[in-house]
Amino acid sequence: MRRRFVRRKLRGVREPSDRDLVRRARHGDREAAAALFRRYWRDAWRAAYAITGRRSLADDVAADGFERAFAALGRFDERRPFGPWLHRIVANRALDVLRAERRLSDEELPETPDVSPVHALGDRSLLSAVAGLSLERRVVVVLRYGVGMTPKQIAGALDLPVGTVNSRLARGLEQLRESLEVEHVE
Amino acid sequence: MSSELERRLGGMLAEAPEPERGAGEEALRRALRALHPSASPHRGLRTAVLVFAAAVALLAIAAGSLAAAGALHVSFGAKAKHRPPATTELTLPNGANGIAAIVDGRLSVVVKGGFRLQGQEATAVALSPHALYIAAGIGRSLVAMAPDGRRAWSHPAGGKVVAASWAPDGLEIAYVVRHGRRLELHLIYGNGRKDTTIDRSVRAVRPSWRADSLAFAYVAAGGKAIVYDVGHTSRRVVASRAAGDVRHVAFAPDGKLLALATSTAVGIVRPGLNELADRGRIGGIGWTGRWLAVVHEGSHPVVLLTASPQLGQLRPGGTIDVLGAEGHGIALAVSTSDATRVLAAASGDELRTVMRLPPHTSVRDLQLG
Repeated sequence: MRRRFVRRKLRGVREPSDRDLVRRARHGDREAAAALFRRYWRDAWRAAYAITGRRSLADDVAADGFERAFAALGRFDERRPFGPWLHRIVANRALDVLRAERRLSDEELPETPDVSPVHALGDRSLLSAVAGLSLERRVVVVLRYGVGMTPKQIAGALDLPVGTVNSRLARGLEQLRESLEVEHVE
Repeated sequence: MSSELERRLGGMLAEAPEPERGAGEEALRRALRALHPSASPHRGLRTAVLVFAAAVALLAIAAGSLAAAGALHVSFGAKAKHRPPATTELTLPNGANGIAAIVDGRLSVVVKGGFRLQGQEATAVALSPHALYIAAGIGRSLVAMAPDGRRAWSHPAGGKVVAASWAPDGLEIAYVVRHGRRLELHLIYGNGRKDTTIDRSVRAVRPSWRADSLAFAYVAAGGKAIVYDVGHTSRRVVASRAAGDVRHVAFAPDGKLLALATSTAVGIVRPGLNELADRGRIGGIGWTGRWLAVVHEGSHPVVLLTASPQLGQLRPGGTIDVLGAEGHGIALAVSTSDATRVLAAASGDELRTVMRLPPHTSVRDLQLG
């Protein structure tokens, strides 16, 4: 947030708010829609990647998420923040895709994310540990800590009781702590 | 540890890789296409909404009264996910083992013995030899099914399968899968094992197998036809006299004749032969026995050719949208203003209607096995 504020000041021109862009986009302003896309594409893609663990799926899921969000922009309550709404759509799309794939293939999903040079420079052990969580735990961990949604928002997005979200978060954290400790010892 | 872990998790997405530039551009195009401008609400619209809501309420009250009197059955609940198949008639032509198509994005398959598959959402379909199995692109997987719907295997393809073709010996399936903006050609054993990437950049054209199952033709991203030799894992670009990007490839069911179609010409190629067989606005090609069937766009007859000259014509009476001709049969999707029909004939029989569909129904991947 702070980085975005600094960038706005450096340019000397105040960038339009999400609310302005949403308002213009829903009236058909393609430039505003494209600006909104550019503002959120990377975060949405990264959320999709953290949930699916695969680049090819993240491409499709994030693109589907934006497509659905833009198609539904007319129904979006512009008093609410755009980012969490978009992430909710992306997360639900990722879940749908992974569940459909698992149902059709009867096989376990890949547990390890794609390896890429950029990835290797980052906190690889953490992302690999997150990828090792079950789909149900992984998605709540990504939404809570990666996207910054509250347990109540996650419960609403995934149509789950808040208690279930909290318990998945607690178990997910416990599993992550164990796997990172094991890695540290090794 | 927990707070330290939560702090690290907070920066998790910042450590994730960057999306590829091309993926973002394609996603932006798709997203902008989905944008529907909506007018800002004003008093007139609000009034219209209120009037409409009042009308709906009155209708609901009337329906409730009728339901209470037993004159009307009212049910509530979620709408069924599976809409009924568009095909109102689905029969097998005499002498054929099976017929398959994607009708409005859903499977329509019938095989010998009366088994049928209808209504399942699919992106591509291919019949095995003798129509014993069906390979279909379902979701992001390639799925092989028995005609009774039992699933033999499922292979996660990582994207939507847009075209598939089963080798004449049944041992392998060549299929094209979409990965973001790219289309990849893969080869997989008929039992769902050993998936191999053959070409990472191809077009969404159905591969066509040579009769000996040792090679198949496909279209590379640049629009050139390529013959891939499965035994030697080598490829050869096919030079044809039909200039332009290749849109269809079809190996003859016997021998090694390969027909290629661009949007304006049809060429036939084999060792020692390379000639132009037809010109015009070409809609599709397919072999039926030793005949090459060529569909011209618009309400034109199907032209039946051998290498040359023109030998005969079929006049199904309507615009031919799709042609499926492999082996010794031919199937045509024909549309008129009031209906779409699929006509088919096998083993020298006359063309007859095997599927009846509403007008403007989309038919793809039409095959006669």
